[in-house]
Amino acid sequence: MTNSKIKFKPVSPQIEALVREHGSQPQAVLEMLVELQTQHGILTREMLDDVARLLELPAARVYGIASFYSMLEVAETAQSFAMSKIRVCDGPVCWLCGGDVTSIGDAVRAEHPDWKVERTSCLGLCDRAPAVLVDNEQAGPVLAEKVSAILAGENVKSIDYSLPRPGEVRVTLAHAGKVDPDSLESALSVGAYQGLQAALKRTYEEVISEVENSNLNGRGGAGFPAGRKWRFVAAAARTPKFVVCNADESEPLIFKDRVLIDTNPHQILEGMAIAAYAVGASSGYIYIRGEYVSQAQRLERAIEQAERSGWLGENIAGSSFSFQVHIHRGAGAYICGEETALLESLEGKRGEPRVRPPYPPTSGYRNLPTLVNNVESFAAVPHILQRGANWYKNLSDNSAGGTKLYMLLGHVNRPGLFEAPFGLTLRQIINDFGGGLRPGSKFHFALCGGAAGTIVDESLLDTPIDYASAGKGISLGAGAFLVCDERVSPVAMLRELMHFFAVESCGKCTPCREGTRRAYDLLVCLAEGGGRPGDLEELARLASVMQAASFCGLGQSVHLPVTSALRHFENEFAAGIRS
Amino acid sequence: MPVHLTINDKPVQAHEGQTVLEAACAHGIVIPTLCYHKDLSPVGSCRLCIVEVDKLRGQVAACNLPVAEGLVVHTETPALVQSRRTVLSLLLQNYTDAGYTSHDGHTTEFEHWVRYYEARLPDGTSPAPRYPLDGDPNPFIWVDLNKCILCTRCVRACEEVQGRFVWGVGERGSYTRIIAGADTAMLEARCESCGACAAYCPTGALDHKLSIRQGEADRKVTTTCTYCGVGCQFDLNVKNGKVIRVTSNPNAPVNGMHLCVKGRYGYDFIHHPDRLTGPRVRRYLLEEGEKVLHGPAWDWVETDWNTALDITARKLAATRDHYGGSSIGVLTSAKCLNEENYLMNKLARQVLGTHNIDHCARL
Repeated sequence: MTNSKIKFKPVSPQIEALVREHGSQPQAVLEMLVELQTQHGILTREMLDDVARLLELPAARVYGIASFYSMLEVAETAQSFAMSKIRVCDGPVCWLCGGDVTSIGDAVRAEHPDWKVERTSCLGLCDRAPAVLVDNEQAGPVLAEKVSAILAGENVKSIDYSLPRPGEVRVTLAHAGKVDPDSLESALSVGAYQGLQAALKRTYEEVISEVENSNLNGRGGAGFPAGRKWRFVAAAARTPKFVVCNADESEPLIFKDRVLIDTNPHQILEGMAIAAYAVGASSGYIYIRGEYVSQAQRLERAIEQAERSGWLGENIAGSSFSFQVHIHRGAGAYICGEETALLESLEGKRGEPRVRPPYPPTSGYRNLPTLVNNVESFAAVPHILQRGANWYKNLSDNSAGGTKLYMLLGHVNRPGLFEAPFGLTLRQIINDFGGGLRPGSKFHFALCGGAAGTIVDESLLDTPIDYASAGKGISLGAGAFLVCDERVSPVAMLRELMHFFAVESCGKCTPCREGTRRAYDLLVCLAEGGGRPGDLEELARLASVMQAASFCGLGQSVHLPVTSALRHFENEFAAGIRS
Repeated sequence: MPVHLTINDKPVQAHEGQTVLEAACAHGIVIPTLCYHKDLSPVGSCRLCIVEVDKLRGQVAACNLPVAEGLVVHTETPALVQSRRTVLSLLLQNYTDAGYTSHDGHTTEFEHWVRYYEARLPDGTSPAPRYPLDGDPNPFIWVDLNKCILCTRCVRACEEVQGRFVWGVGERGSYTRIIAGADTAMLEARCESCGACAAYCPTGALDHKLSIRQGEADRKVTTTCTYCGVGCQFDLNVKNGKVIRVTSNPNAPVNGMHLCVKGRYGYDFIHHPDRLTGPRVRRYLLEEGEKVLHGPAWDWVETDWNTALDITARKLAATRDHYGGSSIGVLTSAKCLNEENYLMNKLARQVLGTHNIDHCARL
């Protein structure tokens, strides 16, 4: 006897196989969805239901994850997919460099009518703006009239940073372009894993003290002293502990981690291994943004090489210390750069930030003690262990020790990435390192730090920049500087930034979810001269509420470009109000 | 361990593990909330319960701020009022009330705080609806996401109170919305229609479908559910002598806000014309005639309790005496209380002399 009302559909064998492979871990749900999407080009509700059933997760949660990440796409029914997908960056830097989703999309479709064109938030290719992702291949610069060249496979080489600029002090970039990033032997020939060897000869305590004495501040943007964070994790009683490398750099203007991975991946793995030894962790994760496919592959290759030669894995270099590193690919979400959102995402959930306290050092990945540091921070660690805290500290004549990667963009003669001590002024950055403003350009404003940085006018050109200078109105953040000449309106720039924040807000808390959207709407009107009286006051009020009341650091930092731009360029904003 | 803190210049004693919000509540200090509910885990996302704490940067959510010795908390400064007003106006941007009277005569929590903080849309316009008015075919639960403020109380109520995991959060940024299952209809997402989500909703985005446009109740009658022996309590909302809605009574000792689909929505029997309101017996029994299985003698006749019980007692005693106690079987009801079932057990075993007794809930 059968009951016609009971619908039973067996789970697709393909998904069953996928679940077997991942060990039916709910934490693996994001990875499984990414894999399914790669295989099918799209996710259907049926697939989500099957995944939910096999992982014993609510269907709503799986759908919530699939719809959260921009690289995942849910469709009603399976579509035939033989086509490629081109993702066009509409971040502020690409916008400034003439990138335009519509015209690039039209040009692509003219050649390949069956291709899918999608807008996407910043791709982390700001030094190659305007940039696109052709399937998983990073390409740029690409302008509508030159799309054919891109589609033919040109402009896909990354920029060469092997030659230092005058005045550069290179530590993490020291071997950029000089070693083969895909060869362990090449890395070993320039001293890779010697910092780890030095660390293994010392006690945990000595390693932490060395990092503390080096004055290494976290390079993700907030500048929290790395040594202190390590000490918190080392002091946490519970085990196992984890080391997580934040390679989710998704903020417009920032691309340093990509260059570090592309030029010297072993340096990052070595830094993580030293950290793991110091805090007592035996496994680590690199959370890398989904758009960095070739970088993830490069890291995977490096891990495999290091494991084969005994620099990672069991009993490293003959010691009793073991450390495994896993790569975890994100799927498109700026918020996952926030460390607690990153941990949520690592656990296969929506990347929404967690309530703090507790902080990750005591309760992080799977609620266990976790050290989260940025790629650039880990990259500096081997050098500190190899050459000593004092050497590193004294590279900068500043309260922050060592060197920093600077990303210079916009209307300068030599944009790009360079490494230098802390405490540079914007004028030095532009003139000494960037070769000055482009011919015919006059300095108008610069966006300093990153997208959630400060917009400054020429009055701050001579203020030394470090982690403390935000108090003076110019922030270091993750170290990016976008210089704009007088043809660029700060109102339009702020509109582009706000578009990014509105699209990338996780949607958890009201001020960020609704505030960024409202601010964007206001800025669209102001930039087109259609603003209304009271708009500027509302914008300022929104900024201050977002700063004070947002749930996480990302929402709180949205106010920085708004308040700084309003302070320096009030007249240009006021000009946007319809008289 | 007692913890001492100061809230609005008033010394407050709390205990370790409490949040500032709980400590304030316990001392009669009102901090506005939307996403918080005492039955649900705090998420701190609406940002209405923000407070200022001396020596702490920014405005922090009181619902997940643990109390600490010596904490100095302010709950109603001009800056906080400004933030709350802004937060509420931002929520109003996506809030469209189509104008039906859906709630039981009370303003919703959201409406209350909007009025209290005089929040309004910056340009005074009303946003266009983004979702269908009656967005889900569920027969009992009304879904109007135009009124949703994404507090996620429904999601947590479904997970933590009912344990069904129907609701979730989909998309992100300003496109974030509440979804059922893999964005399907509620019933397809294993919904049991218990209505907990609607009971916890602070805006009326989720509401009781049977009660939409039923207007305002004249009075509320707290009663105990007749469906089973658990003894859940709730409020019957009565208008013109007719029950128009059942609402949770948060003070109900057994169930709190929780109810099942029968208790919350199965009240149509109250006014049903077929409902029995007194005992009935077959006419032949009343007239002490011969048993005939058809015709007028087989008809039901309404009578008084004494008559009905006398006939029952007489017939049971005769059966026991003639055929023996074990010829009788007793089936009791889930609608009876424990005590009533206990008495039926006594009656069966000691008076009727049978151990053939069972209960419908075992079937």
